[in-house]
Amino acid sequence: MFLFNYRYRLKCIFKDKQLMFWTFLFPILLATLFNLAFSNLSSADNFLKVNVAVVQNQELDQNPSFIQAIDGADDLFIVKYTTQADADALLKDNQIDGYIVFDSDLNLVVNQSGLNQTIIREFLDDFVQSSATIVTVISQNPAALNNGMLTGISSRTEYLTAVSASHSNPDPIVNYFYALIAMTCLYGGFLGVKEVVAIQADLSAVGARINLAPTNKLTVFISSMLAATTIQLLELLILLTFLTGVLGISFGDQLGYIALTCMVGSLTGVTFGACLGSIIKKGEGLKIGILIGSTMTMSFLAGMMSADMKYIVMTKAPILGYLNPANLITDSFYALYYYNTHTQFFTDILLLCGFIIAFSSITYFVLRRQKYASL
Amino acid sequence: MVINVKNLVKRYGDLIALDHFNLEVQEGEILGLLGPNGSGKTTAINCILSLLKYDKGTIEIYDQPMSPDAYDIKRNIGVVMQNVAVFNELTVYENIDYFCGLYVSDKQTRKKLVAEAIDFVGLNDFKKFYPKKLSGGLLRRLNIACGIAHRPKLIILDEPTVAVDPQSRNNILEGILELNRQGATIIYTSHYMEEVEQICSRIAIMDKGKIIAMGTNEDLKKMIKSGEHISLELLNPENLDLTEIQALSHIISAELTDHQLVVKSSRGKNNLIAILDHLKDQNIAIGKIYSEPPTLNDVFLEITGKELRD
Repeated sequence: MFLFNYRYRLKCIFKDKQLMFWTFLFPILLATLFNLAFSNLSSADNFLKVNVAVVQNQELDQNPSFIQAIDGADDLFIVKYTTQADADALLKDNQIDGYIVFDSDLNLVVNQSGLNQTIIREFLDDFVQSSATIVTVISQNPAALNNGMLTGISSRTEYLTAVSASHSNPDPIVNYFYALIAMTCLYGGFLGVKEVVAIQADLSAVGARINLAPTNKLTVFISSMLAATTIQLLELLILLTFLTGVLGISFGDQLGYIALTCMVGSLTGVTFGACLGSIIKKGEGLKIGILIGSTMTMSFLAGMMSADMKYIVMTKAPILGYLNPANLITDSFYALYYYNTHTQFFTDILLLCGFIIAFSSITYFVLRRQKYASL
Repeated sequence: MVINVKNLVKRYGDLIALDHFNLEVQEGEILGLLGPNGSGKTTAINCILSLLKYDKGTIEIYDQPMSPDAYDIKRNIGVVMQNVAVFNELTVYENIDYFCGLYVSDKQTRKKLVAEAIDFVGLNDFKKFYPKKLSGGLLRRLNIACGIAHRPKLIILDEPTVAVDPQSRNNILEGILELNRQGATIIYTSHYMEEVEQICSRIAIMDKGKIIAMGTNEDLKKMIKSGEHISLELLNPENLDLTEIQALSHIISAELTDHQLVVKSSRGKNNLIAILDHLKDQNIAIGKIYSEPPTLNDVFLEITGKELRD
């Protein structure tokens, strides 16, 4: 009976086009849209070098230290050495952000103010300051030229060192995709609702027919839930393959833990739907409406629409974060990707297991009833 | 005895859906449960099947107390629900196979039973069709096949012909008679008195959660005073004195509407002849004459004071 029902439930779920759209195609569509929206966002974070021209003249030739300094700042500037006339033309055509002219002083010519112009000015100020310091030191203590005191003037010491918590570089974009996976897991609730409706006599005509048969209802229920979880896992597997293979989203390399997260997340979603389906006695439309509403709220709080929301919840009301299955699933992936230890990951997984037990228990207490007060 | 229900009481708050309902069903009969909508037919069936909780009473099927986990009893029962109960995602064949599979685990036996059920309801050409592609009549036939594929000894059909075209209705009724001929005991609920009269060997009339009359079709009609309904089309009704018709012996009532005279008579011989003789004496010409025996509606009307179809 178990396998017989399992096979037919798989068939029923696979052939439910509406259900397959929401639980399978919709997350893939959403992931594609996320990818399109975020591809420009991450490139906008990259620093673009400042185009600057330096006018070649006699004064410049007499200051090789400046040429050395500006050429050394190749991570800041793209430098062109040119004539005054060409520099004017380049500036007019906006091909450079400004040009530097050496005469009696160090001059910067720009045609507008902005970040790039400020960067050039800061560089020149720094150079002028360092040069003045060196001149002062040499004039007061010529011996300093030989004992290495001057090397320290232009050097900068970093007293803080950045240490990565994991092998992965922090990327705020991936959190959106993790929240999307969490939403997909909770969309397993659609399957849970369908399975409960299908076996409850007071919820559907087929449920009444199943209740009339000489079969153990718990067996039918467990095999139905297993079928729902199987399909949910398959859908998640395809989504993960799409995210990693097509969209290039990274999940780290801990495949076993990723599989565990998917399994626990799917079970959370399916049992959540079953619980909703069993306790709400009104029509299937209302159940689905509540399911979508609650799932979207949980995903929103987990940072699916705005990464800041997750931060706000965890700082202002952390308890809400721990009571939100979508947040726990998102956190599990995040912990696997960023942290070298598994403490946070297992905390999340254990809390999700708690939800699964709670949802399943409520469902069982409602379903164990063998006779109905009304149909 | 197949079913023995004693003093069944079912309440929905203040509403009494079944009021000390009693029912006995004998092996091999087709028992019709007839009553208007809301009379308690479906509630009674759902209680008998242990789907619904009830407040009081006992239910025995095949001399065993009925309960949700009385699997040995359930194995022998087939139910055709009022609402079509099939999976839209499964084909005709798969639906029948699934519901038969809840009763019969052996694959080969089930295959044979499913084929027989499909043949029985005439859905051979629609085996691979999905329910949404079937007409209302074919869908009802699928619903029946799902309920009877496992060859139950007791079949309960709850208004299986609702919203079905006349041709499909006749097919369904023929099928029920055939199932009975093959040995099944049948309980058939309906609010269509013609159907119940046509196929049931015994009829229980229900109203307000109680059986108010029970017996064969003939027994029930003998319970009432009404004998026949006589309708006459009068060509010159202006000459008619209605009180004289009403004064004739065995006449219960006489009403004249336009040219139509409707007379209800009690049982008695030559009622029609007496009326015709009277009209002839009054020089009233007659166009058409219809005479109908009493119906179950008359039985219901006389017992409850209201129409069966109200």
